Amino acid sequence: MTRESSRAGEAGRQSGLSRRQFIKTGAAGAAFVGLSAATLGACSTRSDGDDTTSAKQYLDFYGEHQTGIAPPVVPALGLMASFKALSPDRASLQQTFVELTDEVEGLMSGRPIPTRDEAYPPVDSGLLGATPEPDNLSIVVSVGSSLFDERFGLADKVPNELVRMPFLANDRLDPNRSHGDVLLSIDAENPDTVQFALRQLMRRRRRDLVLEWVVDGYTRGGGVNDGTAGAPRNLMGFKDGTANLATDDDASLDRFVWVDDSDGEPSWAVGGSYQAVRIIRMFVEFWDRTPLAEQEAIMGRHKDTGAPLGMESEFDTPNFSNDGGGDRTPLDAHIRLANPRTAETEKNLMLRRGFHYTRGYDAAGRLDQGLAFVSYQRSLNDGFLAVQGRLSGEPLEEYILPEGGGFFYALPGVPEPGGYLGEGLFAA
Amino acid sequence: MMTWKQVRVLVVIAMLALVAAACSDDGGEVRSVDGSGTATGSGSGSGSGSGSGTGLAEEDLSAETDNPLVLQAVDQYKAYVVQQIEDMIDGTTIFTDAIRAGDLDAAKNAYAPSRVQWERIEPIAGLIEAIDGAVDARVDDFEGVDDPAFTGWHRLEYILWELDTTDGAAEFADRLDADLATLQAEMADLEIPPAAMAIGAAELIEEVSEGKITGEEDRYSKTDFWDFNANLEGSKAVIELLTPALEEANADLLAEINAGFAELDETLAQFKTDDGGWLLYCQENDPFPSPLCTDVVIDQDTIDLLKAQLAGLSENISLTAGVLGLQ
Repeated sequence: MTRESSRAGEAGRQSGLSRRQFIKTGAAGAAFVGLSAATLGACSTRSDGDDTTSAKQYLDFYGEHQTGIAPPVVPALGLMASFKALSPDRASLQQTFVELTDEVEGLMSGRPIPTRDEAYPPVDSGLLGATPEPDNLSIVVSVGSSLFDERFGLADKVPNELVRMPFLANDRLDPNRSHGDVLLSIDAENPDTVQFALRQLMRRRRRDLVLEWVVDGYTRGGGVNDGTAGAPRNLMGFKDGTANLATDDDASLDRFVWVDDSDGEPSWAVGGSYQAVRIIRMFVEFWDRTPLAEQEAIMGRHKDTGAPLGMESEFDTPNFSNDGGGDRTPLDAHIRLANPRTAETEKNLMLRRGFHYTRGYDAAGRLDQGLAFVSYQRSLNDGFLAVQGRLSGEPLEEYILPEGGGFFYALPGVPEPGGYLGEGLFAA
Repeated sequence: MMTWKQVRVLVVIAMLALVAAACSDDGGEVRSVDGSGTATGSGSGSGSGSGSGTGLAEEDLSAETDNPLVLQAVDQYKAYVVQQIEDMIDGTTIFTDAIRAGDLDAAKNAYAPSRVQWERIEPIAGLIEAIDGAVDARVDDFEGVDDPAFTGWHRLEYILWELDTTDGAAEFADRLDADLATLQAEMADLEIPPAAMAIGAAELIEEVSEGKITGEEDRYSKTDFWDFNANLEGSKAVIELLTPALEEANADLLAEINAGFAELDETLAQFKTDDGGWLLYCQENDPFPSPLCTDVVIDQDTIDLLKAQLAGLSENISLTAGVLGLQ
């Protein structure tokens, strides 16, 4: 497998370069008519006239941070897959990160799929045909605290705040949907693209990475980077993500999301980010039987407009300081606890990148659906844990149940070709 | 169980070959399909591939491979399969005789050993689809345990362990003997296509990964480790016979495959018993709980390790047909 894959990788890399070259050249030539490289890239490979693809891109893998955390476009679909690392030794684990990087880069850049003699199984699943279309695909590779145990000699590399996610208030964590050594977070616009990426990534290192759990869903956009159309609604029918950080607000990302060299973290971790994942079941039938006034009091927003209670627009900023008694917005309303809008709590902001999931129904015949909550932050203590601490005991808890997830560390990006994700973990 | 997959693979290959032949005249490579196996093997069991396969076989048998090392391996493998069937019938007769004698303990003791040879050659034996379904189907393939079509080892396993009796088992014991005799007769004429041999080695590992690691195969007797190991042995036998050819074609791949077998053997060693048998397959949170399981025998971490080792081996073995140019 290794030899075949790397051979395929070499061939692919060359083709991938020529593809990028083509796009670049095309963009330069077409600049005067105002076409973006992305648009051209998309159109150049489509022939069925589906113009919704015009905004779809191959996202650039290389950069100081992993592109998929705060991508230029936030795709509609998301999937997270958690793996146990079973590499026989440290060198195999290192090779796993090398090969994952190659696969991630190839998938994101639309590297054409090589073919080989038909006596072999095909190199890829064929889900996307010979040349995967641009689909805003991104893949983020993260690691859990368990990777830093005694197995691989990484104990001295663990980020300061990375721990196994404890049972927090109201949690009923399912061991079959919690934690993991390596987490892959895959975003794209189409389900085929997501599944294609997952299968290719898994196939690459099947001896080393055993799947532990998967969650997938939609409305990945989650209010990110969208100040005009407003946030999408969560499965409770409320606007969710209105006050989220914007993925193109570099200053805020620097301040709240990316670990930098002033944080006292291990040097390899600079450029990465803490990732909190929470699989939060929502008891939607129960919620749907709750009076509107109570729903709004619990959330702190008007359901129809998304405006904070007593205000007009979704984007109005609530003023809790002149409502100290909670007459307008109850003191235990979700948005008030989550973001009290005070100077002291500003440092608790984080980038949320969750999505809705549905997974059938439970033994009681209730729909099993909810929010796959994801937040990226520079500090777990200042970010997710601080917010979660304030939310503990909120009235909303009656309607939700955190059932899984975990704390992870999203690896720093790979600035340029030649490096690989997690490289700093293996440096002497 | 195996049959559908196996047959599907062969039929698909045959269909691809037909399509390719229809599209173009070349096909020197494409047409070198294992049509022979599909034709001969399905002659009795499944009719699915026989018609199309026969023509291809006659036309292209010689084109399949002219590698003398592979051809020698195929001959040796045929002999291996024939010997396994002979041994299987001997072992199964001990099992079925005990049932007919009403000796419950002796029958239970003979159950797992009687299946070893079957599990070693399952992908090839499974080419006789009707027999595979009759002797090795699980209850999941039927409406319920009382379905008269539910026959073979697992029907007997159900009666012996779940009902804890030999009552009513003799008719199924007779049927098992008869089915295996039929298998033996039909296998005598079976031509094993080189590609089917290589693919079979991979299928055996898939079998372990799908059916044994979950504990579903021998859910009443909890003897899954026996089948687990026998699948590995059957796969190993193929690779051993193909070793001269693989050494020539890709020695690195062969080394990786052998390392894969070795690490699986090492992981499994702890579950062997002193008398050459295997411990019961009792898992943590066992999806098939049994009163036989008083303790956890295999924990989740070990199952996860086996999953990884099996998956790695599967990926490597899946390349052997390609490395040897067998289609």
